Amino acid sequence: MSRKPENTAFKQQRIPAWHPLLTAKSVFPTFLVVSVAFIPIGVVLLVNSQNIIEIMHDYTDCTSVEDNSVLCSSVRLNQSRMEETCTCQINVSFDTSMSGDVFMYYGLTNFFQNHRRYVKSRDDNQLIGQHVTQSTVSSECLPFAYLPNGTVFAPCGAIANSLFNDSFTMIRDTTVVPFLQTGIAWPTDYSQKFNNPSPVNDLSQAFSSYIRPLFWQRNVEDLDTVTSNSGYQNEGLIVWMRAAAFSHFRKPYGRLDRSSSEFENGLSVGNYIINVSYNYPVTAFGGHKRFILSTTNWMGGKNNFLGIAYITFGCVCMCIGVLLCCLHYHARKRHVVHVDK
Amino acid sequence: MEEVELDFQMPSNSVVPQSGSSDSSSQENLGTRTLHFNCPNVEQSFERNRISTGKYNFATFIPLFLFEQFRKAFNIFFLIICILQQIPGVSPTGRYTTIVPLTFILLVAAIKEIIEDYKRHRADDAVNNRLIEVFREGKFTELRWTQVIVGDIVKVVNGNFFPGDLVLLSSSEPQAMCYIETSNLDGETNLKIRQGIPATTGLQCSEDLNSLSGSIECEGPNRHLYDFCGNIKLGGDSGRSIPLGPDQMLLRGAMLRNTQWIYGVVVYTGHESKLMKNAKRAPLKMSNLDRTTNMQIWFLMVILIIISLASAIGSEVWKKMPVDRWYIDDIGSGARGFFMELLTFIILYNNLVPISLLVTLELVKAIQAVFINCDLDMYYEPSDTPAMARTSNLNEELGQVKYIFSDKTGTLTQNYMEFKKCSIAGVKYGETANQNGDTFSDEDFLERVHNPKVDQDDYVRKFITIMSVCHTVVPEHVKKLNSNSISNRDETDFDLDMDNIQYQSSSPDEAAIVKAARKMGFIFSIRTPTHVTVKALGKDESYEILNVLEFSSTRKRMSVIVRCPDGVIRLLCKGADNVICERLSPDSHFQLETENHLREFAREGLRTLCFAQTELDEDAYMEWNKGAFYKASTAVIDREGQLEAAYDLVEKNLDLIGASAIEDKLQDGVPETIATLAKADIKIWVLTGDKQETAINIAYSCKLITEKMSLIILNETTLDGVRETIMEALNEIGSEFLRQENDVALIVSGMTLKHALCADVQSSFLDLALSCKAVVCCRVSPIQKAEIVDLVKHRCKAITLAIGDGANDVSMIQAAHVGVGISGHEGLQAANSSDYSIAQFAYLQKLLLVHGAWNYNRLAKCILFSFYKNICLYLIELWFAFFNGFSGQILFDRWTISFYNMFFTSLPPLSLGLFERTCSSENMMKYPQLYSISQRAVKYNAGVFWKMFANSTVHSLLLFFLPTFLLWQDVAFSDGKVGGYLFLGNFVYTYVVITVCLKAGMESATWTIFTHLSVWGSIIVWFAFFGAYSHFFPVIPIGAEMLGQADNVLASPLFWFGLILLPPAVLFRDLLWKVFRRRFRKSVVEEVQEMEMEHIDPTNTIMQAAKQSLSEKAHLLKNMFGVSGRSVAGDIPLEISEEHRPISSSVRSLQDPNLGFAFSQEEGGVVSQSDLIRQYNSERSKPEGN
Repeated sequence: MSRKPENTAFKQQRIPAWHPLLTAKSVFPTFLVVSVAFIPIGVVLLVNSQNIIEIMHDYTDCTSVEDNSVLCSSVRLNQSRMEETCTCQINVSFDTSMSGDVFMYYGLTNFFQNHRRYVKSRDDNQLIGQHVTQSTVSSECLPFAYLPNGTVFAPCGAIANSLFNDSFTMIRDTTVVPFLQTGIAWPTDYSQKFNNPSPVNDLSQAFSSYIRPLFWQRNVEDLDTVTSNSGYQNEGLIVWMRAAAFSHFRKPYGRLDRSSSEFENGLSVGNYIINVSYNYPVTAFGGHKRFILSTTNWMGGKNNFLGIAYITFGCVCMCIGVLLCCLHYHARKRHVVHVDK
Repeated sequence: MEEVELDFQMPSNSVVPQSGSSDSSSQENLGTRTLHFNCPNVEQSFERNRISTGKYNFATFIPLFLFEQFRKAFNIFFLIICILQQIPGVSPTGRYTTIVPLTFILLVAAIKEIIEDYKRHRADDAVNNRLIEVFREGKFTELRWTQVIVGDIVKVVNGNFFPGDLVLLSSSEPQAMCYIETSNLDGETNLKIRQGIPATTGLQCSEDLNSLSGSIECEGPNRHLYDFCGNIKLGGDSGRSIPLGPDQMLLRGAMLRNTQWIYGVVVYTGHESKLMKNAKRAPLKMSNLDRTTNMQIWFLMVILIIISLASAIGSEVWKKMPVDRWYIDDIGSGARGFFMELLTFIILYNNLVPISLLVTLELVKAIQAVFINCDLDMYYEPSDTPAMARTSNLNEELGQVKYIFSDKTGTLTQNYMEFKKCSIAGVKYGETANQNGDTFSDEDFLERVHNPKVDQDDYVRKFITIMSVCHTVVPEHVKKLNSNSISNRDETDFDLDMDNIQYQSSSPDEAAIVKAARKMGFIFSIRTPTHVTVKALGKDESYEILNVLEFSSTRKRMSVIVRCPDGVIRLLCKGADNVICERLSPDSHFQLETENHLREFAREGLRTLCFAQTELDEDAYMEWNKGAFYKASTAVIDREGQLEAAYDLVEKNLDLIGASAIEDKLQDGVPETIATLAKADIKIWVLTGDKQETAINIAYSCKLITEKMSLIILNETTLDGVRETIMEALNEIGSEFLRQENDVALIVSGMTLKHALCADVQSSFLDLALSCKAVVCCRVSPIQKAEIVDLVKHRCKAITLAIGDGANDVSMIQAAHVGVGISGHEGLQAANSSDYSIAQFAYLQKLLLVHGAWNYNRLAKCILFSFYKNICLYLIELWFAFFNGFSGQILFDRWTISFYNMFFTSLPPLSLGLFERTCSSENMMKYPQLYSISQRAVKYNAGVFWKMFANSTVHSLLLFFLPTFLLWQDVAFSDGKVGGYLFLGNFVYTYVVITVCLKAGMESATWTIFTHLSVWGSIIVWFAFFGAYSHFFPVIPIGAEMLGQADNVLASPLFWFGLILLPPAVLFRDLLWKVFRRRFRKSVVEEVQEMEMEHIDPTNTIMQAAKQSLSEKAHLLKNMFGVSGRSVAGDIPLEISEEHRPISSSVRSLQDPNLGFAFSQEEGGVVSQSDLIRQYNSERSKPEGN
């Protein structure tokens, strides 16, 4: 038997190949094409983004409606006055109407939802609707897993424990502007990742063997009056449970209910009052709270970065493309070889 | 014995250091062994005759493999990471995210090891299962080698290897002589003679053996190839002990030649044979590139520790901030907390060191080795030998070779001599026929032989007579062409003419001459102890051999005194030009013409011999024979010296007939290869155990030395002499030309080398050697070969390659960075201990210039890319740490991270490592200048590494911060929904995968189908995995966080806009740099690439580039050496006179090497030349030995 190697393209290393050469000549048209494409895209994106109306109000240090002499933040700093209610009023007015969908967000700063010990402190099995006991609850939830007597928190963990619990009511004249607190979480989260434990149709029974987290004022089944938005399936909770990427973040609170004719086209020009039930303490960790109203466009919220980035990169490509083009036509006149020394 | 052998036995008190293992192995084998043969009743247990060179067997595989793997710091590192991950609460990525990829990687490595070891076992089996005739139960039966046991009597037939170490009992030849070829063992050209002891000579058939029984007592197995000590006792215990020595020893690895058969008793088998005892496991060699890579892995580990420490400190600072983060449970600070944080960060950043790098490299190298093995250009059809990479560790080292140390015999030459030309009475023959045929033929010559007319033709007749009579060759009549008994492996040596005469000779030169004479119609057919018969043009002529005046390297000639058919006593002599000339009679003609012809022959690298004869007066001869000769041959003191003096008395008044030119046939394409390699700036040194004359001849014929070069010949025997001549030569070269390539060749002899390698002379010797274009070392021992290689390796910091074919080359093959063995002759030891074996020296060109350079470039890209991609992704964790309070939170899902190296970016390094081609293989060969890129390690060194590191740091910054800005507002959907940390993470991760794959594409100069598959395939694999993984939970209880990610990420328009913009923006600078570099600082490679694209022959470009650097130096050199040395001799060949001799005669040769004398003959062997021819009677038929 001959040991002669096979004469195949693979073994003889003769596989047909494309040899792209990155020369000025071959590259400059690409640069020009890219710039021609990117600059208009950037302009469109930027204009779109500029058309979005966004109203933001930092209410961290708002004064209490109940007692004008105190700041709600200081009330919340005092452990003993935790049970007291404290309400703030925010006045907003806009000169252009917010047409279309309007979303209400709350924003927090200096809140490290992305801290490793915070992010992992949850039990996804519990949230998906499995009953857990002291022994089966995820140890990641500790120390927010169960009481010393073994009663498991529903839901357990640091994230759930620190659920944002300010509430907002928006009033125009005397009408309450209707905001829906559903449809703000990812559909996949609502339908797949969060489920109430059995029996699903009797939540008080379902959660009877659990206790609400330490910092909560309401039980999990009472987060909303509607059953479909209660328990683990409360969208406010679901939104909160998706940890933000940075210590500066916003999360949706509600969306304008445009079913009534008055708000069919969004929010019209005028003065609005927002009553904030100020529960969430942020000054302890040096954080701030914001109230945000915003419209969106087809690509999301106000985002100037993308437009600017496209325009910038397009311009750079244009410059370089032109430069390379000149170099190329100049180069054709003389050929110089440099030896690698 | 030749000197080469003596060097093996060099006493340990000599200055040459012995290899380390000799002490230990000789210690353990001091015992003796006694074995009985033909005694079926005696139980004997010895090592089986099975060899195994495999690393593992079924039982040992797992422990040995794990031990091998975890000996590497790299794997230990990841094992530690695995263990750290088991500490609860410490790992940011869960418990199993390192153990799974590590297991996967070990599995891949294990599969590779199994395949390689399986091949080794297969090769062993091939040897183990060779067949041999063994004498069992009164008859010879054919058995496998493995079945041979110590004490067996075996019959080995011509052309076969000995199955073990044997003691020779008897042979088909007179007096139990046999010829063996030991070129496997020592690389020597000539055959050696071994002779059995007289007591066993008579064993000629099975019946004889039946009645034989006895025992052998000998030393225990040891590694000394040239020592053997034992006693044989025949006929039971009562018998007399007869001493045995090395002359009766037939070693495994040697081959029986020119002898029909031998009987031998097996003494050592399998791993106890001397050959195997000598075979050290090839030292594990690490390539330069691997060392650099290792270094960089350590660097990365240091960086890892630094950023882990920094992050842990950052974490402490963050924790100490005077705020109450009530939403996070109180994390322990203090020393313990700090330490735990540190471990967390080490786990977090551990993938900065690419876990898959080693296994990727191993795979890439293994497949690169397959490419080498499969290269048709390196397949030698006649012997059916493909190239073979025995190790894959050094593929890229082949691209960095700066010095080649080459053996001569069997490496540069074919180890085959051929009569090429001759000069008779001042007329040259054989000139014309040279072009078409490679053997001698000349119409005119034949015409003169067959139809003698003039005086000149008489000389031709005399010349042929000397050719066919004056030698020690033994003819053998082969009755039938038995293809079973005669291996058809090497047809040329069993040249059969119509009379079926086969010539046996220990001197290949003589065999060539006799064969040539036969071709001319003068068939030397019968040798009896007193006569030789030559069938001259069909007529038998009988010459009575009166005396044989033996050849020795001091005499440089051999003569026979014969009584010719016409009754006249003549002395026929052949030898070196200078010794013959001294003894010519004053009225001898053609001296000048012959000398000129000799010089011409020598210039072509042919080995020359002068032929002369004289008539002796009957009385004068008788007087000499009875007087001086008899006295000398019976002398007790200095018989040799006296004999020489006696020979001198008759070898005088010679009449010069002519000269022969024999070609020591070079392998195909050797001069071209050497020229090409020289252009690639590779220095070639020839290290040979052969004689100086032969070495110089070969150096000329392979164009290593050209006529233009001056020679510096170091032939000193004392330390002071060596030092002096070296200094003198250095002065002559001048300090400004030191260590530059001057047009000078250095010839060094072994004796000189012994001193030149001494500590204090070493560096000036090296200076001298490095200043010469060519270096030839002759008569060097194997150990010296290794020492020279070591010297250059350590002093020059350059990559060395040693190439050889014999066991005498093993030490240098193992010492050099890369060892290449010439294969083709089965079971060669050099090939077995080499890193690469090729069948022809010429294949070195493709091995280095194409495979070496390609592999270097491929691996450089592959390694750099592997580092790049990991730094690019995992540094992002560091940037993220600045935003999450140095908590060790990962931005990505834990499994996507750990699969990064396994699935999403594992293919691009492979395609870079396997299919990248800078220039086509044709152009790599055509323009050796391209080799310098890999040779000078331009593409991969510390500088390149740090540039890459900086680049990937910038990339990782961009790839983290651009998406961060993109998602700073959180709202990523038109329905107002927001993402989360993992949402951002998946953006970033996708962009990283795409960027990294595109970067791999950008680094590829060659886009094969595999490149496309790896680049686009990896991206597709990521998207597929992303899609699937986002739906695992809760069916598969992992990746809860990932649930629904793909649906939402892919639904976000921001993601797609980022996808279009970000990877190109990140790679923009890289692209631009490439374009600008090509525009402003175009390298030769790039130029060739462009020409290739345009199908223009790039010759002009290269030549221009090369000229720039060469012309200047060449000019200077011309001034320097233009008037001295050989160049003058070459131009005006006639007038070689004293004033044109080199300036300092002490530096130059003691003899003029220009006339090309060379002759090889076994000297001082077991049977002397005259005894040998006196013992043969070719009229008697030889026993069959059945």
